[in-house]
Amino acid sequence: MTALRSPAGPPSGAPTPSGTRVVVELRGCTRDFGGVRAVDGLDLSVREGELLSLLGPSGCGKTTTLNLIAGFVAPTTGRVLIDDQDVTARPPHERGLGVVFQSYALFPHLSVFENVAFGLRERRVSEAEIRRRVGEALALVRLGEEGARRPRQLSGGMQQRAALARALVYTPRVLLLDEPLAALDRKLREEMRTELREILRSVGITAIFVTHDQAEALSLSDRVAVMNRGRIEQLGAPREVYERPATRFVADFIGASSRVRGRAVATDRVELGPGQSLEVRAGRPLSVGATVELGIRPERVVVAPPDGPRVNRIAGRVTRLTYLGAQTEVTVEIAGGASVLGLVPEPSPVSLAVGREVTLALPPDAFLVL
Amino acid sequence: MRLLLLPSLGVIAILAVALGALFQYSVLAFVPGSLQTGGFTLANFRSVVSPQYLGSVWDTVVLSLATTALTLVVSYPVAYALARSTSAAVRSALLVLTLAPFFTGAIVRTYAWILVLGNTVVTWPVPMLFTERGVLVGLVHFSMPTMILLLAAAISHVDPALERAAASLGATPARVFRRVTLPLSMPGVVSGSLVVFAWTLSAFPTPELLGGGKVKMIANVVKDLALDSFNWPGAAAFAMVALALTLGLLGGLGRLAAGRVER
Amino acid sequence: MIGRAAVVLLVLFMTLPTVVVVAVSFNPTAIMSFPPAGLSLRWYANALGYPQFQRAAVNSLIVTAAASAIALLVGTAAALALERARLRGRHVWATALLSPLVVPGVAAGLGFLILAAGLGLLRSRLVLIAAHVALVLPFVVRSVWVSVKNLDPTLERAAASLGATPWRTFRRVTLPLLRPGLFAALLFAVIVSANEFVVSLFVSSRLTEILPVAMFTYVVNYTDPTIAALSSLFIAATLALVWIADRFFGLAAVFLLDR
Repeated sequence: MTALRSPAGPPSGAPTPSGTRVVVELRGCTRDFGGVRAVDGLDLSVREGELLSLLGPSGCGKTTTLNLIAGFVAPTTGRVLIDDQDVTARPPHERGLGVVFQSYALFPHLSVFENVAFGLRERRVSEAEIRRRVGEALALVRLGEEGARRPRQLSGGMQQRAALARALVYTPRVLLLDEPLAALDRKLREEMRTELREILRSVGITAIFVTHDQAEALSLSDRVAVMNRGRIEQLGAPREVYERPATRFVADFIGASSRVRGRAVATDRVELGPGQSLEVRAGRPLSVGATVELGIRPERVVVAPPDGPRVNRIAGRVTRLTYLGAQTEVTVEIAGGASVLGLVPEPSPVSLAVGREVTLALPPDAFLVL
Repeated sequence: MRLLLLPSLGVIAILAVALGALFQYSVLAFVPGSLQTGGFTLANFRSVVSPQYLGSVWDTVVLSLATTALTLVVSYPVAYALARSTSAAVRSALLVLTLAPFFTGAIVRTYAWILVLGNTVVTWPVPMLFTERGVLVGLVHFSMPTMILLLAAAISHVDPALERAAASLGATPARVFRRVTLPLSMPGVVSGSLVVFAWTLSAFPTPELLGGGKVKMIANVVKDLALDSFNWPGAAAFAMVALALTLGLLGGLGRLAAGRVER
Repeated sequence: MIGRAAVVLLVLFMTLPTVVVVAVSFNPTAIMSFPPAGLSLRWYANALGYPQFQRAAVNSLIVTAAASAIALLVGTAAALALERARLRGRHVWATALLSPLVVPGVAAGLGFLILAAGLGLLRSRLVLIAAHVALVLPFVVRSVWVSVKNLDPTLERAAASLGATPWRTFRRVTLPLLRPGLFAALLFAVIVSANEFVVSLFVSSRLTEILPVAMFTYVVNYTDPTIAALSSLFIAATLALVWIADRFFGLAAVFLLDR
């Protein structure tokens, strides 16, 4: 692993400097399967050293995009470039990438050591060098003692780490991960998430991974590409995608949100109904007279606010309480029939019951204009 | 990738050519005393239904039917035990015993029956060797492994929960068998019967050795004509009949199976 | 428990002939009596020393080895193509490859004989070997195909992603994982070819005939226990092979009975 940056590299969470070079580029890639268009005129640039996630529901084309980069699938039209070289026609075994598969795809007839050594053997590395680098890779993923075992003797989490070591040991240009944590149970998934991020950061590699789990995408990535129906709906840093969704789909897919509809009566005011209007400061002025749909995240809604400035206070009635352990989700029906979701911590400072009247405060800058 | 299929298709093509030669000879005239052939003729096929040989054809069909029925009856219990046995050891043992005869070769198995039917072990009340009875026994023995395997596969597809359900509803074991197991294992019964029937039609070593020249099935006639009389065209006609019967039966089985899948 | 008794009886019925054959083979005299009057190995000596049997055994070895090897190569390629290549009408090709199973032995035998005569190959082993390859091919294809079906294609993608060319992927990943299926296929091929009788009866001459045919000729002409001895050797050899298959792969897997 001498070619990789030492563990004293950039600390986890440090943002990638902009203006760095583009490692992987997709230009106008389209891929059809029979009558289905899996990827539709996709443009994507992946920067050196970044962790980029392709996030979306099943069928959105994220796995196909990954397969296009890896070379398992050829684009119907468009080009794939790695380090500015057109690799569209190049077969997978010549692209110098590393892939971690959802099922891990560890070779059952080889030991863990031989699995990890596989890529090095294809590169005619010397025996002594193989032993050294495999040892380092296994140590990096904390599987140092398991080299002699067979894959079927390892737990799911260990298999995942072995697959990671196998893909990293020969320092590929880019690491591709296909739903790497999907097969793990929840607790393990969260542990592995942090560990995966640390490993990838410490090695400093450019990584693209596919996931349908937004928590995973938000916590692991430097940038998130939200995909739908073969296209990228929004590409940006996690915070940006969460707080300023560019399209309705992104707003719906990432995080929960409640919707209220009204008419813009001023550039910063929306009227929901007679006597009920909200001040909205969403970054751009509203067009007066237009119908506006507003979204608001539950965590921004203040349930039963203490007395204070009476901006955007709305009265409503509790229709449902969902206990989530650390919080309770409160569903409140407001005048006009819309439902607003809010969260209260547990134990709750306010006593709530279904049917009880309650006041909500909606901060003017918390709205998403859809 | 597709090219990998070519060599094996070549092998099949060779077989097809051999069968083509068979067909060709079946419609050529036999020139007695030589291997030359005359012109186109249907005489060979006419002789198949001639009084001289029709008896053999008829005997073949009857014997095959009897074999199939008998094999079905004796194979079902073994197949049931094989499919339903809960002990892996028992299942392994049954499997080995069922399959081992499969692979000890026709001659060995038939010879064994020569011994048993020939008063070596017991003296039979009626003559067994060189009679149709003996041939029947030999044929059943020959067909059992196939029937057992096909039946066992079909029975194992019948969910035991269904049998248990029937029992819980008050059905005696006999009724469970008649109303649940047997009907649901019908696909296996049908396919097993068709396969055994088709193969028995063309059986050769068993009637040849156990029949002692007195029991002639279609395959024996082919051999006599071809290797003893050098009447290749005549033999070819009989062989074509056997081929047509077999293909017809097993083709019908395939159509049945496909139809069932579609439903 | 009538059922249990019936099964036992039937199993006895199935195994009785084998028991008798083995017992008779040790009979000291030429009269075939059961149980044997004593224990003697003279018939084994006779069988092993009989020149025609020796010649036939060599023929069997040559034909079975050649046919099995060819069928294994050809059949494995076919199985890979059937499963992995994008084929329209895959089932048509599969049926074609399995077709030798439904051809009656006498039909194939006579057909090959006529073909051999037409090509002037009556004295050569070529047609016999070709016939064996055709007869054994369905077993090989079926065995290997099941193995290929169970092979996870993602493993081959993984190998490619790690830099292995298609050939090296085949050598380092596909082939090792296919090994059980290949052994089963070879086992089938050897056993079926070694015991093949009907077609071989038609296609061989006295010089080229294989062991089962030689045994047939002997049985038709003589009635001493020599064949019993030879048969016992056959049975022992087959059981040994089947036992080996079970030891290494499990019989159910070999005979494709586990889903």
